[in-house]
Amino acid sequence: MAGLATTFGSGAMTNSINEIENAQVILVSGSNTTEAHPQIARRMLDAVDRGAKLIVIDPRKTLLAEFADIHLDIRPGTDIPLLNAMMRIILDENLVDDLFIEMRTENYYQLRDMLYRLDLDEAAKTTGVELSKIYKAAQLYAQAQKSVICYCLGITQHICGTRNVQSLANLAMMTGNVEKGDTGVDPLRGQNNVQGACDMGALPNVFPSYQPVGNIDFREKFEAAWKVNLPSKSGCTLMEMTHSGKDGPIRAMYIMGENPMLSDPVLSKVEETLRNLEFLAVADIFLTETAKLAHVVFPAASFAEKTGTFTNTERRVQMVRPAIAPIGNCRTDADIISALALRLGYAMDYDSPAEIMEEIAMLAPIYGGMQHDRLEACWGLQWPCWDRSHPGTQFLHKYYFTRGKGHFVPTEHEPPSEMPDKKYPFLLITGRIYHHYHTGTMTRKSSTLNRECNEALLQINQVDADQLKVRNGETLKVTSRRGEIKLTAEISEQVKPGSVYTTFHFAEAPINLLCIDTWDPLANCPEYKVCAVKVTKP
Amino acid sequence: MNDKLTLKKDHLPAFLRKLSKDYRLVAPIKNRHGDTIFTRIDSSNSASLDLDNQPQNSIKQFMLPQREVLFSYHAKTETGYEFNPTDQINEPTIFFGVRSCDLSAILYMDVTFLQGITDSHYLEKRTNSVFIGLNCNQPFANCFCNATKSGPFLEFGADLQFTDIGDRFLVEVGRSKGIKIVEKWGHFFSAAEEKENKQQYQAFLEARGSFTRLVHVDQAIKRLQENSVPEKVWNQLSLRCQDCGGCAYICPTCTCFTITDCPLTKNTGERIRSWDACTFSGFTRMTGGHNPVSKKTEAIRQRFMHKLCYDVKKHGRPSCVGCGRCVDICFGGTDILRFINLACEGS
Repeated sequence: MAGLATTFGSGAMTNSINEIENAQVILVSGSNTTEAHPQIARRMLDAVDRGAKLIVIDPRKTLLAEFADIHLDIRPGTDIPLLNAMMRIILDENLVDDLFIEMRTENYYQLRDMLYRLDLDEAAKTTGVELSKIYKAAQLYAQAQKSVICYCLGITQHICGTRNVQSLANLAMMTGNVEKGDTGVDPLRGQNNVQGACDMGALPNVFPSYQPVGNIDFREKFEAAWKVNLPSKSGCTLMEMTHSGKDGPIRAMYIMGENPMLSDPVLSKVEETLRNLEFLAVADIFLTETAKLAHVVFPAASFAEKTGTFTNTERRVQMVRPAIAPIGNCRTDADIISALALRLGYAMDYDSPAEIMEEIAMLAPIYGGMQHDRLEACWGLQWPCWDRSHPGTQFLHKYYFTRGKGHFVPTEHEPPSEMPDKKYPFLLITGRIYHHYHTGTMTRKSSTLNRECNEALLQINQVDADQLKVRNGETLKVTSRRGEIKLTAEISEQVKPGSVYTTFHFAEAPINLLCIDTWDPLANCPEYKVCAVKVTKP
Repeated sequence: MNDKLTLKKDHLPAFLRKLSKDYRLVAPIKNRHGDTIFTRIDSSNSASLDLDNQPQNSIKQFMLPQREVLFSYHAKTETGYEFNPTDQINEPTIFFGVRSCDLSAILYMDVTFLQGITDSHYLEKRTNSVFIGLNCNQPFANCFCNATKSGPFLEFGADLQFTDIGDRFLVEVGRSKGIKIVEKWGHFFSAAEEKENKQQYQAFLEARGSFTRLVHVDQAIKRLQENSVPEKVWNQLSLRCQDCGGCAYICPTCTCFTITDCPLTKNTGERIRSWDACTFSGFTRMTGGHNPVSKKTEAIRQRFMHKLCYDVKKHGRPSCVGCGRCVDICFGGTDILRFINLACEGS
C-alpha cells in the first residue's frame, strides 16, 4: 500500500488481471502464484504458452519458477540489491525510457546517481545470484514493449517491504512500463476483499476512498453525513493494537473475521494483549482461537449468506448474493454492527445493503458511480468510477499518475533484522499452500481439504536433511529466539540448503510463535518472511 | 409404437404443466443471474425454461447426489450397532430437455451402478426417472460429442426424444414410460408427416457439420492403448493441474465417491457418500501414508486412462461423452480437450 502510494499515488494493482495474458514479459516477485492466486497464475501460464517470457524472483523453486525463462533464486531479503542491479544494467545498456521519465516522473537523477554508485559484482554477491542471470533478466524486462510486474507478500512482508515495492515501481517507471495497457505494477491481494476493506477506510489514517482524516474538508464531509465528531488524528496500526501487551493503550476491541491469535507474529504477545483487554468481542463464522478469548462472540453469516460487494485485487467491485439462508442464529456483519450501534445510542437506519452502497457512492469518490443496480448488470466495475456514466477504469494513471508525477524513491539494501548465525543456523521462510486459506478457520473444516493436507510440513533440502540424519515424515523441533514448535519434515528441492520453509495455516503448529516481531516502519507489515531458527530432532 | 409424432412449441408449456401433475419435473432453467441449470420446475420458474444454452450441471447430481446419506447407525450397549436405511424420498421424476451427451452419461452410470453389484440407492432413483431427450441442433463452443459418438443426435436411451424442427418438436417414442405419457396426453401430439421427418434429418445433417472443434478422440485412444503418449505431455499437464477437482465434479460420467461416517451424537451417526476426484492425492493415499498414485503425473494419467483407455477396453467405448464442461471449468488448462490435442501432436 504505502510503497505504491508514495511513488504512483495509489496503492492498488495498476492494471487488470486479463492484461497479464497479453504481456510480453512477466516479472513475478515474491509470489507463489500457482498456489496463492491460481486464477492469476493461469493467465501467466497462458501468456507463456503464447510465447511471453517469464522471470520469477523467489528464493524457492516454486511451481511457477519451473515455467520461468529465468529464475532468480535470491537470498531472502535481498530484493533491493537485485532490483538495483537490474536497473544499473538497464542504465548501462541504455534501455532507459528517457521520454517517459522526462514527461511523467520526477526525482530520477537521484536514483541514477545512486545506481552509478552501485557495484554490480557486490550486488550479485549479496543476492547470491549469478550476475549473468541478472543481466539476462534486466535485458528481457527492459527490451520488451509490454512488461508487467506482479508481486505479493514475498516483497511486502519484510522489514524493508515498502522500499521493496518502491524499487519495483522505480524499475517500471525507468522503462516506461506503466500508465498503459498490458504493463504496470500489480500487487496481488491476499484476500477476496482486502482491497475493499482498504477502500472503505479500514486503515488508521484515512476515511473511505483514501481521504486523509487529517484534512478538515474531508472530516467535515463525513461529520455532516454521519452526524458525529470524528478524530483528526490517525488511529493505531494492527501491530500497535495486538502487540501493545499488558499496559497497552487499548481497553476494548471488536474483531471481525480476523484471527490474530494465529496470524500475527509472536503469538505469546498477542495473547497477553488480548487477555488484558477489559472487553473483547469477536464476530466470526466459527469459534476461532481468537474468539475463544472473547467475552462476547457474535456468530456471523458467511459470504454465501449475504448481499453486498467484494472488491478484488484488480479494483473490481462485484456483487455477492445469498446462495443459502443464514444458518442458525447467525447474522450478517452489517446487521451485527447496526444492532450494536443502536444499543450504543447511534441508530444506523439502513433498510438494505443497497442503501449502504448508495451512501458509499456519495462519500467515496472512487466508488461514485457504483450502485447495486449498476453492479448487478455486469461483472462489476473497476474503480475509480466517478459517476453513473463512468465505465470504470481498466488501468490506472492514464495520462498522468494519481499523485501528479511518478516519484522515484532510490533505496538501498537493508538486511533482514535477524539472519542465521551459529546458534540459529537456518533461515525460516513462511508462506501458504494451495489447500488451505489463511488461519484455516474455514478450510480446516473441510474433510476433503484436510485429507489433501492436514499438517504443517517443514520443507528442508536433502543436504541439510542428510546432515541432521532426518528422513521424510520425521518430526522435527524448530526453535527460534521466541519459541519452539514441532513440524513434520518434507525433504524438498524447492528450498536451498540453509533455508527451511513452512506454512502458517495450522493451529496445532502455530509458526508465528517463532516469527520475529519486527516490521516495516512505513507500512507496519510484519517481517514474516525471514527469521533465524534451529532445527533439531526432538 | 414407432411412429414419429409432433408437438407444437406453443403447446410445450401446457404439456409440461400437465406432466408436472404426475411427476417432479426437472429441466434447464435460466436463473436470475443468467446461468442455465437443471432445476426443479415449479410455478415460480417455469417461464424461464431455457433450451438454447447448455445447462452448467448435468443429470449426475440427481442420480448420484453430491452428498447422500446411505444409512444411519445407533450404537447400543446391549445389542451393538443397529443400522437403519434412510427413508429415501424419490418422487417419480421427469428430466426434460436432456441433451444427447447427458443422456449417454446416464447410460454409462447404469453400467457402473447396476451391472454386477446393484447400487440400491441409484436403482431406486433410476426406476423413478423418465427422460425426455433433446437432440442438439447447434453444438456449443466446446462440444465434441461427435468425436465420442454420443451425439449430437441420439437414437436410443430416452423415453421420449425431441428434435427442434422450427415451430414444433418432432417426437420419437422410446421406452415404455414414453408410451405411457403419449397415451395419457395424446391430444398434444399429431402424427408426423413425411416433410417433418425430412426436416429432422436435415437438422441432424446440419448439426453434424457445425462442430467448431476438431477433436481426434480415436487417435488419442489409440495412442493411450499403444502407450505412446510422450512423457512430457503428462509432465506438462501435471504441472498445470491446480488440484481443484472441478473436472470430476462437473463431469457427467465421473462417479468416484468417498464414504465418511458422520457422528451426530455420542451413540448415533450417519454414513455419507459424497463426490470425490481421482486427481486428489488423498483419493489413493493409504492410512499408513503410502500412496500408490503418489505423483501428480500418475493421478492425471489415471484420470485420462480411465476415461479413454480402460473404459474402452471394458465397455467398448470411452466414458467421455464430449459435453465440454471440463473445458469450461478447468482453470489450469488440463482438461480432456487439451490432453487429447497434446496426445495427438506429431501424429
